[in-house]
Formats: sequence, structure tokens, C-alpha cells
Amino acid sequence: MNHQQKNEHDELRARFTAWLETTIYRAKLKYLNRQRPKFEVVSIEELPEDALSVSEKAVYGAVSQSAFDFEEERLAEAFANLPIKRQQILTMLFVEERKPEEIAQLLNCSAQHVYDQRYQALKKLRQALMKGGDKL
Amino acid sequence: MTLLEAVSGSHEALEKILELYAPMINRYSLVNGRLDEDLRQYILIHIALNISKFPM
Repeated sequence: MNHQQKNEHDELRARFTAWLETTIYRAKLKYLNRQRPKFEVVSIEELPEDALSVSEKAVYGAVSQSAFDFEEERLAEAFANLPIKRQQILTMLFVEERKPEEIAQLLNCSAQHVYDQRYQALKKLRQALMKGGDKL
Repeated sequence: MTLLEAVSGSHEALEKILELYAPMINRYSLVNGRLDEDLRQYILIHIALNISKFPM
């Protein structure tokens, strides 16, 4: 094998190694995704409060009531009127100071969903306060 | 050349390639530090089914 042939052989082998590694990586991802249990996605709005387990309510219900130290009574009221899951997300974000990605993992939803819920919850709170005459 | 033969569909050549790359395959077959035999088999089948797509 002359020098040029050896170079071509090495180049081909390097290309094949890179291709094989990508192929194996994709196969592994596909395999692991199949292994992961699938959950039906249900909108938070559609989820009745009763659907939450007792222990979850005890944990998050208690946290959401007391974790925020509201100086403004109307804000406390507006917060209490939010769906329980949104209260839970706000509590995890602002009291427990968790990252949206972490919350998404805990609640088994996407990080984008957490961002959306935060946006909707803050919007509702803002609206509730503005109705009373204040602007935030 | 073994690679060319494997891509062309030779089972013997494919076996040689899989043997040569066994360390890499085994490394990717680890899940939480343990060898997942099902995953290893899945990877081997995936390679066997796709090796003909390698652009020579």
C-alpha cells in the first residue's frame, strides 16, 4: 500500500468511525425513548383539583398557602384563585427558586409549559390587581 | 477491504467490523454504569440494518 492509498484508507476509516458513533448514539436515544413510560398530556386547566392526590395537596396546598408572605391582601386572594397547579409552579419558581427545567422534570411536563404557566399566572395576578385600581 | 464488503452486504465482513468496534458498542450499551444487553442487541441490529447506508 503506497502513501496515498494509506491516507485514503485512514480517511475512510475515520469517516466510518464518526458515522458509526453517530449511528450508535441515535440507536441508543431511540431505544431509551422507547423504554421511557409515556404519559398522557392533560392541560392544567382541564385537571380538576380533586384529581390531585391527597399527599400532593397536603404538600403543595400547604406550601402555596403559606410559602408566600403576601403584604397585599388582594394579591393573596388573587393567588388563591389561581388553579392549584399554577400556584404550585409559582411556588416552585419563586419560593423554592427552582429552575423551569427542574420543575418540568418534577411535574413531568415540558419546560416551555412551565414558562407558559408562569406567564399566564403572572398575567392573571396582574389583571386581578389592576382591577382594584393599582398598576403593577 | 472489509469495510467495503460489509457495506456491500457481507455478513462475515460485518461480523469483523462489529468485533473491531466492540469497545465503542459496549461503551454506548451502558445505562447507569451497567451493561444493558437489550440495548447492545438493539445497537447491533441497528448497525446491521444501516451499514449499507454508509456513504463510501
